Amino acid sequence: MPAIEVRNLSKVFRVSEKEPGLGGAFKSLFRRKFRTVPAVSDVSFDIKEGELVGFLGANGAGKTTTLKMLSGLLHPTTGTASVLGFEPWKRKPAFQKQFSLVMGHRTQLWWEIPAQETFRLNQEIYEIPEADYKRNIDELVDLLELQDCLSIPVKKLSLGQRMKAELAAAILHRPKLLLLDEPTIGLDVVMQKKVRQFILEYNRRYKATVLLTSHNMDDVSELCPRILIIERGRLLYDGALRSVVERYAPFKLMRADFSGDVVTADLERIGKVLENRGPSATLEVPRHDVSAKAAELLSRFPVVDLTIEETPVQEVVRRLFIAGGKSGA
Amino acid sequence: MRKYLHVFSISLQNVLQRRASLLMDRVGGLAAFLAIYFFWSAVLGSKDAFLGYSRAQMLTYVLAMNLLRAFVFTGRGWELVNEISSGKISSYLLRPISYIGYTLSLDMAQKTVHLVSAVLEVAVLVYLVGAPVYVPQRAETWLLFAAATAASSLIFFLLEFMVSSLAFWTSQSGGPLFCFELFLQFAAGTFFPIDVLPAGLQAALRMTPFPYLVFFPINIFLERVSRGEAAKLLLIQGCWLAAIFLATRLVWARGLKSYAAEGG
Ligand SMILES: Nc1ncnc2c1ncn2[C@@H]1O[C@H](COP(=O)(O)OP(=O)(O)OP(=O)(O)O)[C@@H](O)[C@H]1O
Ligand SMILES: [Mg+2]
Repeated sequence: MPAIEVRNLSKVFRVSEKEPGLGGAFKSLFRRKFRTVPAVSDVSFDIKEGELVGFLGANGAGKTTTLKMLSGLLHPTTGTASVLGFEPWKRKPAFQKQFSLVMGHRTQLWWEIPAQETFRLNQEIYEIPEADYKRNIDELVDLLELQDCLSIPVKKLSLGQRMKAELAAAILHRPKLLLLDEPTIGLDVVMQKKVRQFILEYNRRYKATVLLTSHNMDDVSELCPRILIIERGRLLYDGALRSVVERYAPFKLMRADFSGDVVTADLERIGKVLENRGPSATLEVPRHDVSAKAAELLSRFPVVDLTIEETPVQEVVRRLFIAGGKSGA
Repeated sequence: MRKYLHVFSISLQNVLQRRASLLMDRVGGLAAFLAIYFFWSAVLGSKDAFLGYSRAQMLTYVLAMNLLRAFVFTGRGWELVNEISSGKISSYLLRPISYIGYTLSLDMAQKTVHLVSAVLEVAVLVYLVGAPVYVPQRAETWLLFAAATAASSLIFFLLEFMVSSLAFWTSQSGGPLFCFELFLQFAAGTFFPIDVLPAGLQAALRMTPFPYLVFFPINIFLERVSRGEAAKLLLIQGCWLAAIFLATRLVWARGLKSYAAEGG
């Protein structure tokens, strides 16, 4: 049985349209106009137990709405979902004890009191036996380096510290499924890295299923072998990250610094010149040709420094959007 | 059950930790309480009885009201409205806990602290100004009074919970709660016993659950009703409690449904 099974899931919001001004407010008292917003349309996918999947899409594409349906906060307009064998929106305690939804810009921590107290509360709420609680909390404090943040009121924590405490609170009951909505939003690079390492470690150690959304491509390229891409509510792509990269980024980027100026026309023989600013240039080279072309560049030009880079995932995804996406991999 | 006890104990710590805010609450309430007390004290002057209340009964009404206000009229309505309109409530809906039970546990902690404080205030006042206190003559009065107070506290909790959960539908989420609180103070008999009101208004009020919050419990304490009448009042109060419980559950369930359809 897959951990998540989604079939033709759709969510249409009905929002009342408000005309501006007092007159408009008065009019809407009598005749309310509604507009429908199709947030998620006919989405289907399966996620196996233990998989780590990235959920990508532009702002307003429908990622959060999907996660809310999978966690039971929202009732879909049509379609079905089975999460860990449960229908999420029935909100059965047996289901709720097995997953966690973490939203980067929301908190479940009690603001006025130390995070420790929320952990204790969650121990009671999730009915975690004392021995398990002790073991889990020690492990989490260690993995997330939480020692210094436990006894300070949450409102006095930095964003990064709060996020770590948030993760700890969400994971105390050892959920089999983690739904993460922008878990690294607002964090600095070091903290992002820590959070990523933690997610990966948790996934490996407990075979936990993870579905995460992010606008940070490092999250995706470091964590998620598989991605789902959603655009305006429709699933555009479901497959391996690698195959998207190979398909939409058939080139690698070569950046070279030279000891003197180099003529663009000469460089064109190596690859397509994207930029040539005096002593440094960027070229696009077919990925299967990279080593030959690098050797040629080194032998013919006065190269001081050379780096070869993968096309950023952002760029790959952008191209995929433009191409309209073809599912499967 | 244990989880709710735990919520109670954390919340108790939380209330005690915010001593400044608690103190402000109490001082604000105390000012109103003293004003009403001295107002009635002046109205009574040297009279021994007024509108059927003996001097001790009337002043005890005011003292008891301070206790009941602390125990009955402390709610979490505004927090609830806030959590609904900000979406914070989601974080509870995701966890295996009943939100009503959670709120009740928080509320109980608050009530406990306020009640202790109110008892101290009344004790100090009685000691300082030598307020005459009516002491019940019949032993069972204490029991009846305790039962009526417990029920009244639950009725208030549910009513406030119901009104606050209208925030699921209205965008001016605090409006209904504000009106409710204003009307309640008057209709429940917190400023004066409702039997000083004109007969028509009184009769109308008696058809509502509001007098069962403060007015009737205190009347039971003051033994202005017979044992039989007290039992009858308790019975009606119990019916109100049941009806309001069902109504609250219904409104809450529909609110959650609309939340799941529209927001989340
Ligand atoms: N409660 C709501 N009522 C009405 N419309 C909504 C509601 N929630 C979301 N929407 C709309 O549904 C669409 C999808 O929103 P959603 O929050 O799922 O996007 P997202 O992919 O998470 O975007 P982001 O990357 O910005 O977080 C948007 O057009 C949004 O305006
Ligand atoms: Mg989102």
